[in-house]
Amino acid sequence: MRPVAPLEDDDNPCRPRHYKPTLAAPSDGDTRVNRSLELSRNRLMVTAGAFLLAFGIISLRLADVTLLKTPDPEVAHLGQPVVAKPAHFSRGDIVDRNGVVLATTLESSSLFANPRTIAEPAKLAKQLARILPGAKESDLYAKLASDKSFVWLQRRLTPAQEHQVNLLGVPGLDFQREERRIYPQGSLAAHVVGYSDLDGKGLAGIERSFDAALGQSTEPLKLSVDIRLQAILKEEIQKQIDAFTAVGGTGIIMDIKTGEVLSLISLPDFDPNDLNTVVPETIFNRATLGVYEMGSVFKIFNTALALENKTATLSKMYDISKPITIGRFTIHDDEPIHHAIPVAQIFAVSSNIGSVHMVQELSPEIQKDFLGRLGLLRPAQIEIPEIGSPQVPNPWREINSWTIAFGHGLSVSPVQLAVAASAVADGGILKPATLIKRPAGFQPPGQRVLSPRTAELMRELFRYDVTDGTGKKAEVPGYLVGAKTGTAEKIGAHGGYMHHGNLSSLISFFPMSDPQYMVYVIIDEPHGDRNNKAQASYGFTTGAWTAGPAVQRIIARMAPLLGLKPIEETPEIHRALTVDIPGMGPKVAAN
Amino acid sequence: MSIGADRGHTPDLAEKLRSINWGLIFLLSIIAGIGFMVLYSAANGSFDPWASKSMIRYGLSLALLLGVALVDIRFWLKAAYPIYLFGLVLLVLVDLHGRTGLGAQRWIEVGPLSLQPSELAKIGLVMVLAHYFNGRTVEEVGRPQHLIYPLLLLAIPAALVMKQPDLGTAMMLVLSTGGIFFLAGVRLWKFAIAIAAGAGLVPIAFGFMRDYQKKRILTFLNPENDSLGAGYHITQSKIALGSGGMWGKGYLEGTQSHLNFLPEKHTDFIFTMFAEEFGMAGGCVLLGLYALVVAYGVAIGLRCRNHFGRMLALGVTLNFFLYVFINTAMVMGLIPVVGVPLPLISYGGTAMLTLMFGFGLVISVYIHRDVRINRRGESES
Repeated sequence: MRPVAPLEDDDNPCRPRHYKPTLAAPSDGDTRVNRSLELSRNRLMVTAGAFLLAFGIISLRLADVTLLKTPDPEVAHLGQPVVAKPAHFSRGDIVDRNGVVLATTLESSSLFANPRTIAEPAKLAKQLARILPGAKESDLYAKLASDKSFVWLQRRLTPAQEHQVNLLGVPGLDFQREERRIYPQGSLAAHVVGYSDLDGKGLAGIERSFDAALGQSTEPLKLSVDIRLQAILKEEIQKQIDAFTAVGGTGIIMDIKTGEVLSLISLPDFDPNDLNTVVPETIFNRATLGVYEMGSVFKIFNTALALENKTATLSKMYDISKPITIGRFTIHDDEPIHHAIPVAQIFAVSSNIGSVHMVQELSPEIQKDFLGRLGLLRPAQIEIPEIGSPQVPNPWREINSWTIAFGHGLSVSPVQLAVAASAVADGGILKPATLIKRPAGFQPPGQRVLSPRTAELMRELFRYDVTDGTGKKAEVPGYLVGAKTGTAEKIGAHGGYMHHGNLSSLISFFPMSDPQYMVYVIIDEPHGDRNNKAQASYGFTTGAWTAGPAVQRIIARMAPLLGLKPIEETPEIHRALTVDIPGMGPKVAAN
Repeated sequence: MSIGADRGHTPDLAEKLRSINWGLIFLLSIIAGIGFMVLYSAANGSFDPWASKSMIRYGLSLALLLGVALVDIRFWLKAAYPIYLFGLVLLVLVDLHGRTGLGAQRWIEVGPLSLQPSELAKIGLVMVLAHYFNGRTVEEVGRPQHLIYPLLLLAIPAALVMKQPDLGTAMMLVLSTGGIFFLAGVRLWKFAIAIAAGAGLVPIAFGFMRDYQKKRILTFLNPENDSLGAGYHITQSKIALGSGGMWGKGYLEGTQSHLNFLPEKHTDFIFTMFAEEFGMAGGCVLLGLYALVVAYGVAIGLRCRNHFGRMLALGVTLNFFLYVFINTAMVMGLIPVVGVPLPLISYGGTAMLTLMFGFGLVISVYIHRDVRINRRGESES
């Protein structure tokens, strides 16, 4: 560093114009500044070294990815003719339970040209335009007449088109062969099957979770879903979404004896054949990845819990005339009833107040333990990677236990709820859900979560909800449908509940004499409109009015398809399924 | 270079014009020129929609750079806080406006312009930190309590940016602050503590977060849940890079990018597109140009005799370096995908404008390299 003069020299206003200060020793101040600069300089050199090192690493990596990683030879030398090579990856097909192909791999050819070797571009463009519908002659000419060494003319030709192009015998044209994953059913099973990328690597759904197996095996993978039921479920949910201008919907059909998922739909959906146009909203799997507060369908578990712990019986009366206030919250019923009603009716009219009174006789720990055994507090176990984690309150206080009694404050995915509710309906044994077809006669491992007696009472309640409660819309004569409705207010973007954004659902089982199938439909944010004839719901947007009719039509269509004959409701069956409450007539519920 | 080397010397306009780093401006212009070329190619050989706009923006930014460079460094010392505060106000505004939008809201409309306040916040932060450390002796910097205030300076914009949520920019703010701390002479063991504390705080902070926030973080860490996923981007990027080979496929001939295999080819993945067409050779040349710009910045920092100028030049250079490093490392799959543009080449107005503003400051530092500024922020000449 160049030594500098003490400061006072400079401060002399009378110094000569061309005065040069004498060189002198640095002052204290300068020493301090110098130390600071010195340290800073050292640090700077280290930083500069770090910069250099980083650039070095980046350059090495650049060499690594551009030169050393042997890229796919097809793309590496596109300028030159590509030798067609044998298919090196053949991915196994995915089929539905009846063998209908849901995903398969086809070889296709794409036509490209080296314009520099094309002698008569005008003539060739004319010929090609005849062979390739959808390609305009002028566009083809522009490409063929350009001075590039490589242009794509058409992707994915049919074998017939390829043959015709070969017949032209024009040098400079060539094909690139590629394997392409095709989903013949389009969007119909998109959320189950998932999709794979251009290199045949599974990115979502079964394609992803069975990626390795599909890559090695040429045997088709047989799923549990039935494409016919997919079509029915999708169509009926879509109808309700359209009628109620809802944002979406989801549905599950399950064989509850085996745990096989026969159908799983999430709407809006997407076409896995055309991923370029896909938006995240359509890829989102509402049935497994979405977690929601399910509302009144949780009363299934609340009621089962109270019955199992013998704190309540079907005929035990609870006074539901007064809303329950806790802190700044008030728990009330949509249609207040100003007297005491029995448990069966609390279930059938779906009373929040009654449900809270029932859970108040139990400790939060017992409730949490029960819901945990039903698998509602851990992510669902099913064979696709898109699994949402339930949002479980922590700590689980009394207030949480009250709101969970009627399905708020605990968010679960529809598939979790379907599995848990199926356990309640089917003898109290929890069976895992699966998307893979079970061999005939397979007995899935089960876990007892309820006593047979409680399960029997619950079956009566499910049926009672359809004959005399909120589930009336789901009734299909001859199939002894049992159900529970749910209407949850959704949490808005700002926190707090939206009063006009509902998650409306209905879960049903049939036949209740020996439940075989579960049909579960959720409509997301339906909008009521009194004047909408397609709704026929007088402006209501509850599960009963939105999901109910869909479930009714689904069961009416699927039962014949599966070869289920209508059951005659013999007096024995009727008696077994009827709620027995002393002093109460058969018609107890208004809605 | 003998002008006023022995004294705090304030150059006049002619001297200023003479000592502008035309070399640095030339380098920046070459890089920007490469950018126009690549954007032209990204639009399949068309000036619309990207290249033409980018050229206009570069022209405006260049004028801004010259204007900023000629202004006295002491003015920028005084302007540090106002600029920083202006950035914060914009960040708050964007937050208020963003509530109605879906996802992250990072832009704010100012008349016909749309600004990304987080870019401005980066420059503002560098300026106030340089201002702060200008006023501190080595001894003071050595004491922990003197670091609380600059950490606060970092925390406010970082929190606002996190809220957008834009984890990438927040991380850039933290990294460049760390770099400035290092250059300012903060003891090494403090960095060790900060890194350890940061790692230790993660689970605690996680416990305090709301469920949806946790989910966001988990999605960030585990993008597979995000369906079409970052894995797809990176795979395509690496294929494109690999297909470029040593010399590339030639200008306008990149197949992976022109056939839309490559996502975001005009913004975050533009380096891939460039390297596909110009190969490893082109990529190395571009990296070399960036390295030269960084070297210029470091050299100016070294040459500057006042602490403020030094910290400012290095802070801006560090920021520039982080952009280049994070972007290129990302497209080559060295680090996870975070949305960071490639400076001067990626399409994007605010980033270019603030970057050129930053280099205007760097050149101003060079022009006023011999101005002495004391710890109170006053000129000593």
